Amino acid sequence: MQTIPQQIVIDCTNLTTREINQKLKALAASESIPAKLLNPAGRHNLAVGITQIAIAIDGPVGYYCGGLSDNVNIEVFGDCGWSVGENLMSGNITIHGNASANTAASAHGGKICILGNAGPRAGISLKGATLIVSGNVGYGSAFMMQQGCMIVCGDAGANLADSIYEGAIFVGGEINSLGADAKLEPMNDTDWQLLEQELSALNISARDYNFKKVICAKQLYHFKAKDWGNY
Amino acid sequence: MCGIAGIIYRQPELYKNLGIDLLQLIQPLETRGPDSCGVGIYSNSVSHNVKILLFATEQVAWEEVKKWLHNQAQVIKFDVIGSGRRIIIDTNNQALDLAEFKHHLATHFPQIHLMSVGQLLEIYKEVGTAENLFQRYQLKDFSGSHGIGHTRMATESVVDTYHSHPFTSAPDLCLVHNGQISNYYKLRFFLEKKGIEFETDNDSEAIAHYIRYQLLQGFSLEQALQNLLNDIDGTYTFLVATSDKIALVRDKFAAKPAVIYETPEMIAIASEYRCFLSLPHYNPNAKISEPDAGEIKIWSTNNTQQSTRFNTNSQLIANS
Repeated sequence: MQTIPQQIVIDCTNLTTREINQKLKALAASESIPAKLLNPAGRHNLAVGITQIAIAIDGPVGYYCGGLSDNVNIEVFGDCGWSVGENLMSGNITIHGNASANTAASAHGGKICILGNAGPRAGISLKGATLIVSGNVGYGSAFMMQQGCMIVCGDAGANLADSIYEGAIFVGGEINSLGADAKLEPMNDTDWQLLEQELSALNISARDYNFKKVICAKQLYHFKAKDWGNY
Repeated sequence: MCGIAGIIYRQPELYKNLGIDLLQLIQPLETRGPDSCGVGIYSNSVSHNVKILLFATEQVAWEEVKKWLHNQAQVIKFDVIGSGRRIIIDTNNQALDLAEFKHHLATHFPQIHLMSVGQLLEIYKEVGTAENLFQRYQLKDFSGSHGIGHTRMATESVVDTYHSHPFTSAPDLCLVHNGQISNYYKLRFFLEKKGIEFETDNDSEAIAHYIRYQLLQGFSLEQALQNLLNDIDGTYTFLVATSDKIALVRDKFAAKPAVIYETPEMIAIASEYRCFLSLPHYNPNAKISEPDAGEIKIWSTNNTQQSTRFNTNSQLIANS
């Protein structure tokens, strides 16, 4: 016999954002029933600071969706605003649409998938999460990235990986320009395996793209004032 | 935060929707800026004549204004609109010297503010909500080819009608801005040296005057905006509208938001994705995109579209 999981449906229309988030937190605390949000209408701060819950959001969301969350499974069927999944600790956030600036900013763990384009500063200060963007990323992406992995199937805007410390960025399309202390590194078998594994889950074939790998050149690790001109 | 929005139609049969579409687009952005709301609408052409909008927040003896105006120019119409007057002046036989007109108006009726001048442009702005503004001036009934709107969260100057957006600096030219100009004083000083008079302390007014100054130097709108990207330091996304165009400019660091909605019928620009959902004829298959850092996009009412990225070739202020 198959058990059909129940789903709690929350219509956002007549609720404040605080009321919605309180309902989600109460659900997460009491039982592991997935929630579905209807009519989010692009409002900001949805599903922020939540632990252990699956949420499907039916429509576009505003800023900071899923931020500060841990062990969540959030799916958004629409576009989203700035800073989706900011400081995510673990779990999955999937956006079936475009994301605005600062996607996955400072995310420590888990996986954030944008099945469209992401705006400027995607993966800024990424601290260990995996960020996958099936389209393009904008200006200044992976700025000060510290750990983790960023996979971009499309093009990357100017100043990619400026002042990166650690981690790896894979770009399937064109890179407009690299930022300070970022360098291209030849792809190896382990890299392709990683890409195939991560992208096959999204029904994307890694081999369809000419992936390039960007890592830290580690010159700024030993910065001397006399080298200022290099930057 | 402020909210900016703009609409330009590709099909003249949609012109009748401009007022209502603009309201729907700008209203969700009230949460970004609840201080004031304003629109610049390109509506009801008075070709060969000039349309002037005068407003006052205090009591004004409008009959005296009317008499004074009749001595200045050939007045065809003098209509009451909200707390102001919409005046149409016949310029067929006698051109209107705008600088002189403004100077005289300020001398005789200092409590009156010149909101807009042009053959098409009408600017309406007010402290408070979009709904109030649209009701007071019956803006839902306006039709036209394009228009821009703004909701303001004041950061740089006082909250009153005159410091609200859109700002205008020339006939049929207006601008809405989200962000701050960090070299505002330098820019203002430069423009004042060129003889430009400022009416407010708002930094966005300086952008409007800068664009006019550039156009007067003979630059095209696109070149003027390219120069602006070099000369104006700060965070900005702004929309500038002329009699037949809307241009979108995003600063070199993409510090402020903008999203573009594009269908075969129209182009809409707004600060956030959610604005498009409330468009009365929302098309879920529309192409939705964001401008790149340092990108200039210009749409024209004749359906042409230009897009350029930032390049570093001129610094007019530094060189002059």
